[in-house]
Formats: sequence, C-alpha cells, structure tokens
Amino acid sequence: MKVKDLSGNYGFEAITLPDGDREIDGVYIGDLLSWVMGRAKSGNAWITIMSNVNILAVASLADTSCIILAEDVTLEDDVIKTAIDKEINILKTSMDIYSAAVTLSSVI
Amino acid sequence: MKELSLNILDITENSVKAGATLTEISLCENEDTMVLTITDNGSGMTEEILKGVADPFYTTRTTRKVGLGIPLLKLACEQTGGSLEISSKHIEKFPDNHGTKVSATFYKNHIDCVPLGDVVETVKTLIQGHPDTDFKFSHKTENGEVALDTRELRQMLEDVPLNTYEVIKWIEEYLREQYLEIQKA
Repeated sequence: MKVKDLSGNYGFEAITLPDGDREIDGVYIGDLLSWVMGRAKSGNAWITIMSNVNILAVASLADTSCIILAEDVTLEDDVIKTAIDKEINILKTSMDIYSAAVTLSSVI
Repeated sequence: MKELSLNILDITENSVKAGATLTEISLCENEDTMVLTITDNGSGMTEEILKGVADPFYTTRTTRKVGLGIPLLKLACEQTGGSLEISSKHIEKFPDNHGTKVSATFYKNHIDCVPLGDVVETVKTLIQGHPDTDFKFSHKTENGEVALDTRELRQMLEDVPLNTYEVIKWIEEYLREQYLEIQKA
C-alpha cells in the first residue's frame, strides 16, 4: 500500500505528504529515537508518540516510508515545515499505538 | 540513547575529532540534578556552526546529511525538565584558548530520565581508542568523587602507551574501585 492511500482512510490522516507514492513495507514501533534509528527498516511505517524535530532526522536516516503519530500527538509548525522541506511523510491518528498497528496489519 | 554513557561517548568523540589534546568529562550530582559537562581544547566552532548544532539536519559530516549527537543529548536532558548549553571558541578567532564546552543538566528524579549506564566502560573505550590524547574524568556525588586524569597516568607510565592491555585493565579496576567506595559511603 502507498502512503497516500492510507491518508484519509482507516483512521489515519496526513499532516505532510510530500512523497505520497512511497510504498509502505512493514511497520516499526518505538519512541527511543536512537534505538529506532538503528532498527527501523527502509520502507517501514514508523509509529511513535514523539514529536521533537529529531524524529525527522531519524525517519530520514532509517528511510522509513512515513511517520505515524499516534494518540493525537501534534507537531509544532516548524517541525511540519522541516518535514515538507526534507520530504518526510507524516500521518496522524487518534488511535493508540497498539490499535494503529493492528489496523495497519490488516490493511497494508 | 538508552543510557547517558553512550551520549557521553558520542559527544567526546566529537571533541577528539575536533583535534582536542585534552577533553574533560565532568559529572556533578546533587540530590535533584546531575550536570554533565564536556570541555575540550579542540578547534572550536564558528558562531554560524554553533547556531546550527542543535539542528539534527546540520552536520559537519560529508557522508550523510544528519547529525544527531547534540540533538539527542539535548532531547535527553530536556525531557527531564533540564537544559543544554554549548559555548565555543573557534581557533581562527581564539588561536590561544579555543575549544568547546557542552553542559547538560538532568533532573534525576524525572520519570523520563535515562540511566547513566556504564560510564567506566565509556572512559575505557575513549582512552583505548585515543591513547595519544588526554582525558580528565570526574564524577562528583554527595558521597564522594571518582576521578582519573590520563596526564597523571602518562607521567607515571613514562613511555608505556595508554592503550596497553594492562594499563586499560588497571584504569577499569581503578575507576570501579572508586565507585565501590562511594557506593559504600
């Protein structure tokens, strides 16, 4: 499934979608950024509750297909700007991390 | 970083890369806070570089476009309610007293404070990897102080390189003994 096809469906909504044609390949979950950095795989949708600008660097390094912010976590404007600038897809959901993962598991 | 000792390793490696001949790592604890200060006499940073250093997309590396050493340390201390300060004197402007000082304050009792981890291992790794530069380590707690200065070691050892197996082993035992002492106190 492409990231853009997830946006607006199943409870996920895009905050930024500069690279919507990116294919989602698996899911990674984690909030300790240095840990995620070495373990998330290229193409993974990464579910987290962290909202610091550093998540963009981690997503960029790990080459994830998108960041999914769970539990209605919001981003500051400058983080959104940087995400667009660095072409990083970000989606949000009101689901908790477990529900988001279960939902993804059935649709991707 | 899962443990602060890994952040320390990361930041100190930057000091060595900046050409520091002496890097001081200081941990100072009181009841509520722990202040980590890393001071080096390396080439320092220009004001422009200093401004961008907490931005993860700013890096002096040429191999990739993101640098996370300082941003992750900043995150680690800020998520405990603490803060990070960096000051630097660039070699071009300050030819005689250049260097960088990174200081991070942690609130130890905050639930998101990461553990310090094995700082002895960090110091050992640094000396092993860079036997020709000097490190001064000090960890002050309310129960006493753990300290090591490779300049003093070098004087005693004369020509024996610091990364000799026996020396590294001795450094580890020396530090661990001091930690045992302050734990007993």
